[in-house]
Amino acid sequence: MRRLLLSIRDGRGFDIGLVSVPLAFLFAMAGLPLIYNIVMSFQEVDMFSLGTFARPFVGFRNYATLFSLPETWPILGNTAIFVVASIAGQFTIGFALALFFWTGFPGSSWLRGLFLVSWVMPGLVVGAIWNWILSGDFGVLNYILRESGLVSGNIFWRSDPDFSLWAVVIANIWLGISFNMILLSVGLSAIPQDLYEAAELDGANVMQRFYTITLPMMRSTIGAIIALGLIFTLQQFDLFAAITAGGPNNSSNVAQYWAWDMSFRQYDFAQGATISVIMIVFVMIASVVYVRSTRHEVRG
Amino acid sequence: MGIRKLAVIGALALASVSALYTSARAEDVKITVWSLDRDIQPAPNLIKDFNNLKTGITVEYRQIQFDDVVSEAMRAYSTGQAPDIIAVDNPEHALFSSRGAFLDLTDMIAQSSVVKPANYYPGPLKSVMWKDRYFGVPKATNTIALYYNKDMFKAKGLDPAKPPQTWAELVDTARKLTDPAKNVYGITFSAKANEEGTFQFLPWAQMGGGGYDKINTPGAVKALQTWKMIIDEKLASRDTLTRSQWDSTGTFNSGNAAMAISGPWELDRMVKEAKFEWGVALLPLPEAGAKRSSAMGDFNWAIFANTKHPKEAFKVLEYFVSQDNRMFKDFGQLPARSDLAIPPTGQPLKDAGLKVFQEQLKYAQPRGPHPAWPKISKAIQDAIQAALTGQMSAQEALDQADKKIKAVLG
Repeated sequence: MRRLLLSIRDGRGFDIGLVSVPLAFLFAMAGLPLIYNIVMSFQEVDMFSLGTFARPFVGFRNYATLFSLPETWPILGNTAIFVVASIAGQFTIGFALALFFWTGFPGSSWLRGLFLVSWVMPGLVVGAIWNWILSGDFGVLNYILRESGLVSGNIFWRSDPDFSLWAVVIANIWLGISFNMILLSVGLSAIPQDLYEAAELDGANVMQRFYTITLPMMRSTIGAIIALGLIFTLQQFDLFAAITAGGPNNSSNVAQYWAWDMSFRQYDFAQGATISVIMIVFVMIASVVYVRSTRHEVRG
Repeated sequence: MGIRKLAVIGALALASVSALYTSARAEDVKITVWSLDRDIQPAPNLIKDFNNLKTGITVEYRQIQFDDVVSEAMRAYSTGQAPDIIAVDNPEHALFSSRGAFLDLTDMIAQSSVVKPANYYPGPLKSVMWKDRYFGVPKATNTIALYYNKDMFKAKGLDPAKPPQTWAELVDTARKLTDPAKNVYGITFSAKANEEGTFQFLPWAQMGGGGYDKINTPGAVKALQTWKMIIDEKLASRDTLTRSQWDSTGTFNSGNAAMAISGPWELDRMVKEAKFEWGVALLPLPEAGAKRSSAMGDFNWAIFANTKHPKEAFKVLEYFVSQDNRMFKDFGQLPARSDLAIPPTGQPLKDAGLKVFQEQLKYAQPRGPHPAWPKISKAIQDAIQAALTGQMSAQEALDQADKKIKAVLG
């Protein structure tokens, strides 16, 4: 008894007590809804049975129906393209900008701060503005492309099935650049300067220093950013709602928008939950990458 | 003695308290109303006026957002916290009435001296019905017709008194009016992949002898082919596929489109923004003499089945209906009533347009009614978009939609 008390006051029991509070919180706020969502994907749900838990179980029928739909594979394909292209664009441009500002020219930290404006703006506002930029007849982007002689006719970014997904990708890259840049800047400033000085004395040129010092030192940061990017891109909903609404003919539809459309526009909550479960699997993979890449971080 | 006196006083006090309590309850029946109307729109204002009448019924109002109407109502109903009265979009009415969530008002309407089915346009009235019973009262209504720019008609040598009457004429007129050098498209409408696309296409299908339950009739296929022709020949912007009706008509107001298909909700903005003379015409027909049709929009009032005060709730509805003659004058909305004459506003273009919309309303058809309307609508939207993007022929797309809809209809 005394040992138990002692352990609670100072020892293993205390640690467990501390850990259990956030765990309980996480379970209540994230775990339960997750389980509820998974359960729902195996049930027959309609609007009038939303308030109860006792709904008929249908096994894998929701999954079977989902994969028998003609649009399922194209939409999952779109999701993959959207995620890969967005992350590639955000990361490359973000990294380039981070390196650029890292050179520390006068005013660089101010400018870097200003970049955050795009990250602070609500997705729907960003979407509405890009909606105008990408507009087919009077859009600024088309004007620039036309005047610079790159295209001869207007590109209907939002309404042409060949371009609609890319319209959202472009907007999403713009939205994510600053976040990538800031995190990468933090990673860059954590690299000790003497490493570079030593390498420079040994005669390493800029490219060599980048590949042998910067990249290896940034490994965990890069892993974390890509994992976070994956999660943020899979969450990206506002831009789709504001720019293409998944159209035309699902050519820019992605899983996250589709899940919402199923649940709240067609009121097919079971199908919506099923799509979400499929997405959970992907986010789980991203989380594992994130946790693995950050566990070497030493704090303190 | 002392104790008896005290007991008497106590009993009296108790009696008076409970009497006060019951009388207070009898005085104040509380009715809650949910709708999406903002402060300048009908519901909150009518409720304020109603509460000022001190009829022994107090109405409480809550505004809900358009996107949340169905999900909020559903959640409230399934947890037993539904309001007494709700305003619901007409294609979603059947979803609730078919499940017994709305109160059957047929008997109350039969005895009412205010709500008379004969006073309503057939379209809106049909949307509150399920299995020949009334489950609500139309709140307001709207439909679509053809706006056209009379100045552009004159400039291209067309007679502004003779807007196109048939689909062929419409396409032909659009060809003449299209002027890429001046950034002018012949026509603008909305084929967006949401309810708006269905709202705009269904009238065409209905005029072509089709309907939501037979969407692939030859006439409906011809309708979709006509749409495709308009898009392919660049008589309308390709952004028609992703643009809402409101944004599309915006390009008409700014002089970038010579004709527009939209509803009476545009009138006020057009009076303010359009710097040219415009007119409104009935929707063109597949060929001269064909059956007219149009879309029907706007909300219905309904009473939830689990209300504790059905009689009082119906009284509130009766009050709303009795104020229908204020709908256009005060709030710019069209009452769903054919027996009410709308007084002129003093705006000649607006009054002329209004007349056309009232005529068009006679042919307005509700979407459905069917409890699974969103699924039916989605099938139609998919077909429109598949055909207009060239991924399928109009026939294939509508055949596929018909198959999907038949599966929903069972």
